[in-house]
Amino acid sequence: MNRILLPLLGIMAVIALWWLATIVFAIPKFLLPSPQDVFETYQGQQAFLWEQTWVTVTETVQGFALSIVVGVPVALLIVWSTILERMIYPLLLAVNAVPKIAIAPILVVWLGFGQLPKVILVLLVCFFPVVISTASGMKSTPTELVELLRSLACSRRQEFFKLRLRWALPQIFVGLKVAISLAVIGAVIAEFVGASAGLGYVIVQSGAAADTSLAFAAMVLLGVISVVLFYGLVAVERFTLPWTEETTQADN
Amino acid sequence: MIELSGVTKVFDGRRRADPLVALDGIDLTVDTNEFVTLIGRSGCGKSTLLRLIAGLLPPSAGSVLVDGVPVTGPRRDVSFMFQQPALLPWRSVLANVLLPIEIFGLDQRSYKNHAIELLDLVGMKGFEKRLPRELSGGMRQRVSLCRSLIQSPTVMLMDEPFSALDALTRTELSEELQRVHRELETTVVFVTHSIDEAVLLADRVVVLSPRPGRVRSIVDVSVPRPRVPGVEVAKVADELHELFRGVHG
Repeated sequence: MNRILLPLLGIMAVIALWWLATIVFAIPKFLLPSPQDVFETYQGQQAFLWEQTWVTVTETVQGFALSIVVGVPVALLIVWSTILERMIYPLLLAVNAVPKIAIAPILVVWLGFGQLPKVILVLLVCFFPVVISTASGMKSTPTELVELLRSLACSRRQEFFKLRLRWALPQIFVGLKVAISLAVIGAVIAEFVGASAGLGYVIVQSGAAADTSLAFAAMVLLGVISVVLFYGLVAVERFTLPWTEETTQADN
Repeated sequence: MIELSGVTKVFDGRRRADPLVALDGIDLTVDTNEFVTLIGRSGCGKSTLLRLIAGLLPPSAGSVLVDGVPVTGPRRDVSFMFQQPALLPWRSVLANVLLPIEIFGLDQRSYKNHAIELLDLVGMKGFEKRLPRELSGGMRQRVSLCRSLIQSPTVMLMDEPFSALDALTRTELSEELQRVHRELETTVVFVTHSIDEAVLLADRVVVLSPRPGRVRSIVDVSVPRPRVPGVEVAKVADELHELFRGVHG
């Protein structure tokens, strides 16, 4: 009960403070709209906003899913071979160090204004945490478990899929949780640069029109997307890894 | 039967450090169905010796034969038991016991009953569906024992398997291991750093001296089985304690 009640209480407190501030300091609507303004704007353009939300959600989820599809095999390669690790790792770090917002315009040049460059940017943002968490999870497999499998004359494939990957799952989920929260940011950045749809596009447009309420409504929806995706992932984790959750509880 | 002759193991020193001679010219023969314990201080190479027999490490010199065949890698009829239970946390007790069967690519269903029998043998009946985290340390090590027994090993290699357990559980498991050894007839090489445990379990106690690891002496234990900790065992253990005092001042 407290798990739902307390976060709601926190949100309500913030909204109340916000509302109070707009009244007490008489802040103009185009600077900081009150929660009521935002809600009214949302109601007025509900269908439009949900359409844009859907665009952003699909970009985010597709890019995120792709980062798993690409990232996990790359992590496997890194752990499989030291030579590959030495080849790939610095490259990975360098690519990750480039600010993603710098890549966004180039992606538009290459791939146009459609959804694809957004999906790719989300992929780039998510890729690093997915690879790092998967690789370090697989490497942290206890030696006695690895030795046990070797004493059974297992193949390398068995060692990786029956042991290392399974062992890494809890850590992979840590990386996925980091990735999913970055994913939404990636999608919005890509939409800022060149888009004709999505919540990032809405924010840019409303900024130009000084329609701050609309920008706020879009931001609230972005927050909702992040929270829903994050807890969706947590639910998947609980379902897939029933054995880890209770160990952490026992440790507490 | 295990035959070691002139077995030497040298670990290359990392970064200019001197190479470490872990084992130096070990000659030892373990007869079929014999129970041998290896004892010595930390760093005497007893775990390394076990890994050489298991085929997890290659010897630097000398030969290791199991049933007359040179060891080139892990064998299916040689099982290895670790200090840690080494259970896969996401697998049930039964699935953990069946792991070797799965790795060997054999039909798991036809071994299921055998696995349950083995669990019954060590008093773990009814725990088949539990996860490792639901078990005590002693129970986990029992599961680990069953897992090494499902291979129907002719040789069981055990690397301080009971050293992480409390004294009571340890005695209990020692007694169970003796029973299992008698009933299933396997050759056992058991590494320990406890003299009392070594004497309680062994037909012969092999004492290793450290750096480089060499066979210091071999002590026959003629106390009739089944053994329990008591005067007879303590008498042999005292001899060994004396020996250690002599060796290391």
